[in-house]
Parts: sequence; structure tokens; C-alpha cells
Amino acid sequence: MARFLTPAKLGLLVLIELYTEEVVPSTAILPVLSFITSHLTERDSVTASFDNASRWRKAEETVNLVITVKDFEKLLGSYPFLMGMPGRKLWDQFLSKLWNINSLDALHVFIDSLSGMLVKPNAQEPGIKLSRNSLFGAFIRKSQVELGRLPWHETTQLWKDFVRYRQPTAHYLRRRVPGFGRLSFDHVLLMGEQQDWDPENISTLASVAYGDMLVGGSTSTLPVSTDDIETLLEFQIEQMQKYGNRVPLEIRHQFHDLLHDASMIPSLTHYLNYLDAWKAGDYSTAFDLLHRYFDYTMQNRDRPFYHYALMSLATLQADFGCYKEAVSAMLETVSTARENRDMRCLNFALDWLFHFGRAHPELVRHLESNSMLGAGKESQAFLRVKAKETGMWPLWSSVLLTEAQLGLANGDSIATSLEFMVRSSQIVVEKNMKGMYGSQLSLASSLWDRLGVAHLSATSCEVFLRCHTRDAPFSEELGHTCRLALLLAAKGKYEDALRKLEGLDDNSLRSWKASQYWHKYRGIIKLKRDLRHNNLEGAEQLLSQLLQSKHDDAEPDLAFTIDILHVDYFTRRGDLQAAFAKVDSMLSELRGENKDIALRVRLLLWKVFLLDQAGRTQRGFSIAMKAAGMAWRARLMPFLWQSMGCIANILVSLCEFEAASQLLTAIIPRALECESSHLVSQLYAYLADANMGLAGKMEPKSAKRTEYMTAALAAVNQAFDHYSSIEDINRQCETMAKKAMIMKLSGDMVLAADYAAAYVALRKSAESLSHGEQ
Amino acid sequence: MALSSQDIAQFRTALQDAVVRCSERCLYQSSKWAAELLNALPETDDGDASIASSPIYTPNNDSEEAALEAKELSKYLLAKSFFDCHEYDRCAAVFLPDSLLSSVLNSKTEATPVTPKGKEKAVAGSTSSRPSTAVNLPRLSQKSLFLALYAKFMAGEKRKNEESEMVMGPQDSGTVANKELIVVGRFLSAWFEERAGEDGDAPGSQGWLEYLYGMVLAKEKNDEKAMELLIRSVHKYPFNWGCWQEMTSLIPRAEDLTQIIQHCPEHVVAYMFHLHASLELYQQSPTLAHSLERLLSIFPTSSFLLTCNALLSYHSKDLMAAEQHFSRLLSLHPHRLDSLDHYSNILYVLNLRPKLAFLAHLCSSVDKFRPESCVVIGNYYSLLSMHEKAVQYFRRALTLDRSCLSAWTLMGHEYVELKNTHAAIESYRRAVDVNRRDYRAWYGLGQTYEMLEMHTYSLWYYKKAAGLRPWDGKMWMAVGSCLQKMQRERDGIKALKRALLADSYYDTGSSFGGGGDLVGGRGAPGHMDPDILLQIAAMYDQLGEEEEAKAYMELCVAQEDGGMAADEDNMAESVRIHNDSPAGSDDGAEAGDDSRAREGTGVTAATSKARMWLARFAMRTADYHTANRLATELCHDGVEVEEAKALVREVRSRLEASGMLSGGASD
Repeated sequence: MARFLTPAKLGLLVLIELYTEEVVPSTAILPVLSFITSHLTERDSVTASFDNASRWRKAEETVNLVITVKDFEKLLGSYPFLMGMPGRKLWDQFLSKLWNINSLDALHVFIDSLSGMLVKPNAQEPGIKLSRNSLFGAFIRKSQVELGRLPWHETTQLWKDFVRYRQPTAHYLRRRVPGFGRLSFDHVLLMGEQQDWDPENISTLASVAYGDMLVGGSTSTLPVSTDDIETLLEFQIEQMQKYGNRVPLEIRHQFHDLLHDASMIPSLTHYLNYLDAWKAGDYSTAFDLLHRYFDYTMQNRDRPFYHYALMSLATLQADFGCYKEAVSAMLETVSTARENRDMRCLNFALDWLFHFGRAHPELVRHLESNSMLGAGKESQAFLRVKAKETGMWPLWSSVLLTEAQLGLANGDSIATSLEFMVRSSQIVVEKNMKGMYGSQLSLASSLWDRLGVAHLSATSCEVFLRCHTRDAPFSEELGHTCRLALLLAAKGKYEDALRKLEGLDDNSLRSWKASQYWHKYRGIIKLKRDLRHNNLEGAEQLLSQLLQSKHDDAEPDLAFTIDILHVDYFTRRGDLQAAFAKVDSMLSELRGENKDIALRVRLLLWKVFLLDQAGRTQRGFSIAMKAAGMAWRARLMPFLWQSMGCIANILVSLCEFEAASQLLTAIIPRALECESSHLVSQLYAYLADANMGLAGKMEPKSAKRTEYMTAALAAVNQAFDHYSSIEDINRQCETMAKKAMIMKLSGDMVLAADYAAAYVALRKSAESLSHGEQ
Repeated sequence: MALSSQDIAQFRTALQDAVVRCSERCLYQSSKWAAELLNALPETDDGDASIASSPIYTPNNDSEEAALEAKELSKYLLAKSFFDCHEYDRCAAVFLPDSLLSSVLNSKTEATPVTPKGKEKAVAGSTSSRPSTAVNLPRLSQKSLFLALYAKFMAGEKRKNEESEMVMGPQDSGTVANKELIVVGRFLSAWFEERAGEDGDAPGSQGWLEYLYGMVLAKEKNDEKAMELLIRSVHKYPFNWGCWQEMTSLIPRAEDLTQIIQHCPEHVVAYMFHLHASLELYQQSPTLAHSLERLLSIFPTSSFLLTCNALLSYHSKDLMAAEQHFSRLLSLHPHRLDSLDHYSNILYVLNLRPKLAFLAHLCSSVDKFRPESCVVIGNYYSLLSMHEKAVQYFRRALTLDRSCLSAWTLMGHEYVELKNTHAAIESYRRAVDVNRRDYRAWYGLGQTYEMLEMHTYSLWYYKKAAGLRPWDGKMWMAVGSCLQKMQRERDGIKALKRALLADSYYDTGSSFGGGGDLVGGRGAPGHMDPDILLQIAAMYDQLGEEEEAKAYMELCVAQEDGGMAADEDNMAESVRIHNDSPAGSDDGAEAGDDSRAREGTGVTAATSKARMWLARFAMRTADYHTANRLATELCHDGVEVEEAKALVREVRSRLEASGMLSGGASD
């Protein structure tokens, strides 16, 4: 494989020559120049990658140019050639120049003559001259040097490749150029034919010189240079590392064709394959390939990057759930980085360990005790200082965000957390770190969620998805989409939620981790729907699948959600015992570690709910009070309202209807902000109960009673509406029954009968829904 | 020399036999040569007869030998397989165990060196009446013995190659010797003594062992004895081309060749040898051409003879014809790389760059690790003025084959281009060491020393070159200019006159009729090199012999209008042999004015100088009219216009001063 020069590059040189000869019409100058430039520069600045598909276009273009001369035709075919006969295209001129290089010697002459296009020092010449250090000038000079560096057989290889590269155009030229013959590709053979060689001998001579190329063996390699390969590799790796998605299949195939039986495969290829295998979730292959990459790079300059290698290893292992190995590899990274005084690597490693420790406290606990890293807080402070010192802005920002997150999780002051977030945001904006918007907005979204302002939460997700996805890795896009989908599901818009998930980029979902995450979220949303539809069979199936993969998941939040849904499932099954046991065990798990306070509150509330379901409503009082206290302290508004609802329920059970009613009336408006239909409908149901209780305390047939009854009916109606919006079929039936009962009590038998009929119809549809029919 | 079909059939059988015999003895190159020749014979009709007697395994004519061979057959086959697998030592050990060889070695070292023939008399067990060696030589068939000893020899060669240092590296003195030569030589001398008949000939011998012994002796620089043995060998078996080649390399001069050819058998192969050897000695003559023609009539398609034909044209400086011959040869045998390095030289001189590039491409596709390919590629790079890469490829050629003569010389040229005179001298020296007949290397040495302004050395080497090419004007011209620089004008003039003669030799020599009226430098027919004439004139001028100087100057100016009897093919004049001049840059330019050469050189720097001198001379001798004419001509020539104009003005003023009348008349 050639190092630099390829037929395609020769084509570019010819194009540059055309340009300097001023034969390119003015309309074509811009396209021609940008074509050349885009192939000479690594980065494609023209097409800012707006979506996933166009991101890979650059790679495709490079590959196409290497493979076929057609790209030139596409570019030049539409422009007229100014100086020639009318009807001639720029493409014709290009071809005639290309075919003027009609022998190996002519190739040398051509490359040699390129110097004529460069500006001579202290000489004023007419025409377009290229400065020596301009992009084109440097390219020309590099081509000349590279030709000089080639050993002879590679020069001949280049020549043969070149002949083959332009051969497809022979067909076109045969029609246009008189006297264009079979042997026009080599002047020496052509002259020989005209002089003293007979045709048979010529064909043997040609076959000796050109090998099987003339016959058109498909086995021959594509004329690609190491330079092109490296550019492509770097591009692909950059894409993968930046956006975290896999190489599209067709590009991968093309690339594979390029490397097809190449004798020299750059070691980066192994790295690319490793990344791909990693993203594909093929642990053993990824592991093998990573080691192969290290082995191939060990001999040269990459040796000092041992710690980076270890870091890759650690992340790989962590990704595949080998946490212990990951931790030890990362510790090794830390110590090597310390030895080598590589602050960047050290900071990254510490940051990673810190986050890892938060996700898997049981694995790092023993580490903290022997004070190698110090406690979480300390390392956090250390990181913050270091990041600031070394100017690692992304790290600094992420540390700030982490601190904000920690504050939120511990239930500390919201203001402090917000302050951290604002500081981080300032850094992000100041340093224009577009890649950091994902985590920034993700935290903002979860903050609003906790504060019960669901709308703002959804908005920040939307902002991210609309404005910042193109600079962010795919995993963040996925995360935000999933959050949005969950919010939609909470509103009962299951279809919309699923559609949102379906709308994600296919190619990006080829990445194993992302697709796992995506599948889980789809599962969760479907499970929610099934549970609400009381489709317990379907729910069980989904649950068993989700529970299986719960433990190898790095996302503790996701596991928690699944667990909660499991509890919900038990409850709906009526297996309160199991549900209670599950909640208890989860609580005890949480107690040990300083996990997010929201989770605990949520579990406590579940406990209260389960007690209520078991008919021992009043036993939940202290728990509910505790939950309320915690939620209040941490400003977890949705949970506060929920716990208030529970307290109201308990009050109702204690016949403190008045208090319950007042409580509920106070909180329902605030709860509506949370946009959680489930919460609101529950609160309305409690309000209805309280009102009914109040009505019961009033004189029969009194106006007061009627008033309370009406209030109760209104509340029940509201509850029914909200329940129907989330399609919670059991509750719908329950509220419908309540409605019928209220009507009956208020003496409106007709309406009561209507409601009863509606109830029966609901039951029926519930029946069908519970069998999984839509 | 048309042969009857019977003769041809006989010849064919003999050649078939030769191929088999050579390959039986692992003489691959000889076998290849014979087989090529075999297939160059025209087809005859009586095909079936030859099929019937197709000799794939030819029995030995000597019954005793045949019996031995039959007995040893399986061992022989084993040895042959080892040889084919390049396991030379193992091959030798099949027949000649190491202990035996070492005893041969020891017995000799003990023997007194004074009497190489009479060593210690027979020891116990030997009842032979002949003088015997200290050890019993094993009774082996000659074929097996040859194979074993040849394998030993090859083992030594291989080791020698392995031990040699990098080409032109700091340790590379070129003195690594084949260590097995001694033992093989001793063994063979013992063998021949054992069977020596009267006049030192071994009667039962079949020629192969003589060849091997000759080769060993040649390597030991015992040229006379080697030649004797080789001649004996070709008498016994003339189809062994390797033997003839060894003889060729032992012949230093053309005179020796004529002597040796008298001792050779009358055989077709001997004619080929004569042809080949003459070409190696850069000879060319109508007789050679004639004999080549006759050989070609027997073997019309022989690539070997076609190559000879091309080389003949090359040596007679008919480059175009040589190019055409080679081109045809190339198209007939596209896979054949032999002597393509000569072809590349021709293309270089003719400046046919595309074709040279194509040739290099072809060679590298066939085999990029053949010395010939590397030389071709190196030549192309040299033409591209990429001298470092050229050196690199010549060096590679030498790594592949240290005895690749042209590579050494060409590398020397490249080093001269790179201004690395030490390396250039060393390469030339090594070329000369490999083959003392290479005049180009001698000439290169001379030139390099001239560059270093060491004229005594330079003169010595130029003389060597001129001795090898007495009819090459270029050599004499070099000698002449060198002498001039050493202030030996008389000798210089002689040498240069010789150069003028030599130039005309080719003109007359290549046209058969002319013969040799090569009398007197001035009377020489045809066109003469104005540069030489100018130089001679300048030297006469220096000596103060103005009349002679003037005569030569006039002759020089006369060349502008051309020689009156210029021959058709005198283009060879202007196209100098590329290898003669390392500074090849000026060669290409000259190739351009071929067409004009016929009508004379036209105005050149030399003639302008001569004209200027004449004008000045006319001024001195107050021949103002002549001076005026010449100076005006000079103005037209446009070579030294300013000076010419000054001269014209001066003439005018003188004319005016001397008398208006004559001045007015001239205008």
C-alpha cells in the first residue's frame, strides 16, 4: 500500500493544474476549489453535521474518490470548457490531461513539472501561481517528495493503479477521441505496436508488465494510501468517540474493502475495531482487540501512554460489568498517571473513580477505608481544585454538576445546588463547551422534576434535543429522549412516548449499550401501560425480562424504577405480602448507603400505600409524617404532595374529614403543577372521600350534605378524568362505582343506573385491556 | 551455412543430451543456455524419430563409468535432491564425507610444497602402480564426484556471500574468499594425478572435472593452468557453456583471444564462444558480423544470438540499430531479463525516457531482485537525476551479485555526479578488480582523478582505457587533454591526432568497403570533431608553431560546412557512449543535432573560438580584410557578439588608419 500518493491524488493534482491554467470557467471555480480543499483537509467544515446520516458523508466521499474516477466526472461534467471546441466539457479537458500521462516516465515528468505552478521567489510571473506554503502548494510539494521516497516497485504499482483508475473513462474517450486505441494507456506499447512489435507479442509484453490488471482481476486491491486510510481511521474514531455511535454498515464494508489484503494495516485499525466491538457489546472480542492494539503500538512512541491504555481497559471492563477488574485497572491508571505526572489522565481517572464509587459504593468502600483516594468529598474537592489549576474545563464543569447533584440527592439546600449549577453553566458558556450541555440540561431537568415543575423539566429536555444534540454523544440524546418519554407516559400518552423512542436514529442504536438502554425504557413504558391496563400477564412477561438484566445495569435509577414497578405489579396482583417484603428490603438496602433521598421517600410512601391497601391505613401515619418531613426538607414537591395525600387519607380513616379536606384543597393546586395524573387523581379521590365523609356528618337531606355530595362528585369526576387519562382501568372502575354510589345516595337513580351501566361497560373494556388488547 | 535436416536432427539430439547432462550436474545456467539454443533450432519434419530416442536419462558411453553410475544411482539422486534444495554441504557429504575431505587437506599440507606432483608415495593398501596420494580417493563415478565437489564449491560460494559485508560499507574490502577452494582444488589435483596419462591429460575423464578444476584455479588466480584445463574440458565436452564463459572471463585482450581460439575444437559452440568473447572485449568487425549471421541462420530465433547481434551494433556505435534489436528481443521474450542492463544503457544514451521507464517497470514486475532489474532501474533514476536512488539501486544490484560489473561502474558514475569522489574511485576500482577489461571504469577513474587535478594518475588510467579501446577517439582525446594539462603538448598533439584517426575508423570500419587509408591526421576523410581540432591548434599555438595552429584552426572552422564525405551513420559520432562520460548531462543535448551532423556541425563554441583566434591572428599579421570578414561572421554567429563587435571596430579603425583607400574598397 502506498504511503501517500494514489491515483485519486494524481487526479486532484491534475485538477489543480487545470485551475492554475485558468481554464476553469468562473462559475466552476468555487465548486472545483472546494472539492479539492475538502479532500485535502482532514475536517469537513462545509457540511456541519446536522444529523447522524450526514456525519458520515465525509467518510463516504473520501472512499468514493479513492475507488472511482466518477466523482471527478460528477464535479466537472456540467461545466463547459472555455478554450476548446464548443460542446466540450471541463471533464473532457480533465480527461485529456489525465490521459496525457501516458507512460511511467510521463508520470515522473508530470509530478516534476508541478513545481512550475509554485511561486518562484523574487519573480513576478503572470497567471495563477500557488504559494509554497498554501494548502495546494504544500500538497504539491508533498506529492513530489513522496514520489521521490517511493521505491521503484511501488512507483510502478502507483502507475498501474493509476492506469486502472482512469480505465473506466476509456470507453468515453473512445467515442470522443479519434485514434484512441486499446493500448492508449501506455505510450510505449502504443508506439511499439506502430513500429516493430507484433500484436501478439505486445499483449504478452503488456501482461508481463501489468500483470493480471488488464484482464480485470477482481482480486486486485484498491489503490488506497496509508495516508487516506489514516485519515479515514481518525475520522471514524473521532466520530465514534465523540458521538458514541457505531460506524454505519455500508461505510464499514467499504472500509473493509479498502483494507482488503493490504499488507500494512495501521494499528489504529485495531483500535477502531475495538471501539466497534465495544459498542456492539461483544466483550471478549473487544477485549482481545484492545490488547491487540496495545501489542501493536507497544514498540513505538505510544509507550508512554500506558496509563491511557489502562484507562480504556477499565472503562471497557466497567461497561461490561466486570467492576472489580475495572476498579483495579483504574487504580493502576491512577498510580501510573501519578508516576508519569500526567495530570489530565490522573484527573480523568479520579473523576471516573468518583462517579463509579457513587454508582457502586460497595466496590470502592474498602478503598476509601485505606485512604488511598480519600473519601468522596475529599476527592471531589481535590478534583475541583485540580481541574481549575490544569484548566480542564469539562472536568471542572462536571465536578460542579456532580456537587450540585450530590446536594440534591442528600436533600441539602436547593439554593446551593443551584449555585453550583449556575457556576457550571457559566463555565460551559464561557468556554463554549458544547459537549457539556447534555449533562447540564439533564441535571436541570431533574431539578425541575424534583421541584415539581414538570413543564420546565420537559422544556429543558426539549431544548437539548432541539439545539444541542449535534455536538453531544448519542447516549445523552437517548437519555433526554427517555426522560421525555417517561414524562409523557406519566401523562398517559403512552403512544407518543413510544413514538418518541422509535424516532431515534437507527444506526446509533446499533451500539449495544444504547440499544439496551433503549429497550429497557421501551419495556418500562409498556410495563407501566400494562400495569395500568391491569394486563398482568403481559406485565409479568415484561417484568421477568427487565428483572433479569437489572443487575448488570450501570444505572441505579433504572433498576430502582423497575423495582418499584415490580412492587406495583405485586400490589395489583393482590400479593401485598410480597410487595411489602420487597419494599422493606429495598428500604434496608438504601439505608446503608447515602443514596438519593428521593428514592427513600418514594419507598416510604409505597409502604404507606401498601398499609392502606391492606386496610391498616392508620399504621402508616408515622411513616407518612416522616416521608412528608423528608420531602419538605429536600423540597421534593411531588412527594410532599403525595405524602400529604397519604396523611389526608389517614385523617379520613380517622374521620378527621374536615382537616383532610382542608389539607387536600390546599395542596391540589400545587400538585397539578407536577403534571402527574396519577398523583392528582389520587388526591382527588382522597378529596372525594373526605367530602363524602363530611357529607356523612351532615344532616341527611340537608343542603350541607348536598353541597358536600356535589363537591365529592366533582372530585370523583376529576379523579375519573385523570385516571382515564393514564388509562388506569381499575381505578376508573372504582371511581365510576363511586360516582354511581354518590348518585344513588343523592337519589338520582337514573344517573346512578347510567353510571352503573357505564361501570359495566368499563369493566368489559377493562377485561379486554387486561388481555392485552388495545 | 545451411545445415541439412539430418545435421539439425543430430544437433538437436546433442543439445538435448547436453541439457540433461548439465542439469544432472546441477549446472543450471549452462543447462538453460543449451535448452534455449535447442529451442531456437528450426522445426524439422522427422519428428517421430527424435521422439523415439528422447533422452531423458542418457547412459554414459564409458562402460566403466556407466556401471559405477548405475551402482550409485540412489545415492546420486539423494545428493541431487539436496543440491536442488540448496543444502550444499549435505549434498557433498553424501559422496565425500567430511573426514575424507579433511584427510585430503591434511595430506597435502604435510607434503612438501616444492614438489606438488610428487608427494609421499603410496601407503599401505594401495597397490596401484601410479603415483598415488596419501589418501585413497573413493571410487566414484565422475558424475557423482563432480556433483559432490561442485556442491562443496557452491557451499563455499554461499558462505562467502554470507560473510561479505554490506556493499561499500566500512568493512567491505572485497577480499572475502571462498574457503572451500583449497580442499576442492587439492582433491581434484589428486584425482588428476591419479589418472594422469602422458602430457598430463587424464584419458578417462569426460571433461566436467576439468571444468571444475579450471574454475577453482581461476578463482585462485592461476590463470594459465586454469585456461589449459578449461580448453581440455571443452575438447572433451563442447556443450558446456559455463566452461566457455569461464574461458571468456580469463581472456584479458583481443590478441589473447585469437591465440586461444586456435587451441579450441572446431565446433559450432566454439564459434559462439568466439563471438561472445569478442563482444565481451568490445570488438566489432565485419568478420564478426558475418559469423553471427551464419550462426543465426542455424539458430534463427536464439535469444542469445539476438542479444549478441544487438551488442554488436552497440559496440559498433550504431545505437539505433542496437535499440531496435533489443526492442525486438524484448517483445519476443518478455520474461527474459538477461542483458537488459545493456539495453538500458542504450536507452539512456538515446534519452528514450518513456521506454526506459517501461523497461524498468517490466523488469521489476518480472523480478525485482535480479541484478539486471536493479541496474535498469538505477539507470532510469540516473536519467531522472535522482542520483541517490540510482546509487541505492546499483548497490542493491551489487548485493545480489557482487560480480555485476556494470553496476560497479555505473555506481561510480553516480558517485561522480554526487561529487563523492572517494566513493566513485572505490567503485571504479572494484569494477576494474572484477573485470580488468572494462574500459569505462578505467576511463571513469581517469576522469575522477582529473577532477581531483591529479593528472599523473589520470593519465595512467586514460592510457589503460585507450589501450582497451584503441579505436575510440574519446579515449585518446582524454589522454591528449590530460597531457596538455601536464604541459606535454607534443605528446598531447600526438594523442589527439590519434583521436581524430580513431573517429574516422568507425566511419570507415562500419562500411565494409572502405578499408584503411587512415594516413595523416589532416588528410583524414569525413568529418572531424572541431573540439579536437581546436585543442590541437591551441596546443600548437602554445608551442609557438603558428602555422600549424592556423592550419588546424582553419580545419576546425571548415567543419562547419561539414565533411565532404560524411557517412550515413556518423550519428554515432555525436552520440557518445553514455558510459564513457559520467557527466552524462551534456550527452542528451548532443543527440539532438544528429540530422545536422551530415551537413557539418554548424556553428559551435569550438568553431567560434577557432574563428576568433583566426581573426585575432589575422589582426596580428595585419591581414585586416580577413579579420574583418571573420569578425563579421562571428557577429552573425552570435556566440561572442560583444567581443566580435569590438574586434570589428578595431579592424575598422586600423583600416582607416592604414589607408582610406583600401578601407573604402572593402566597404
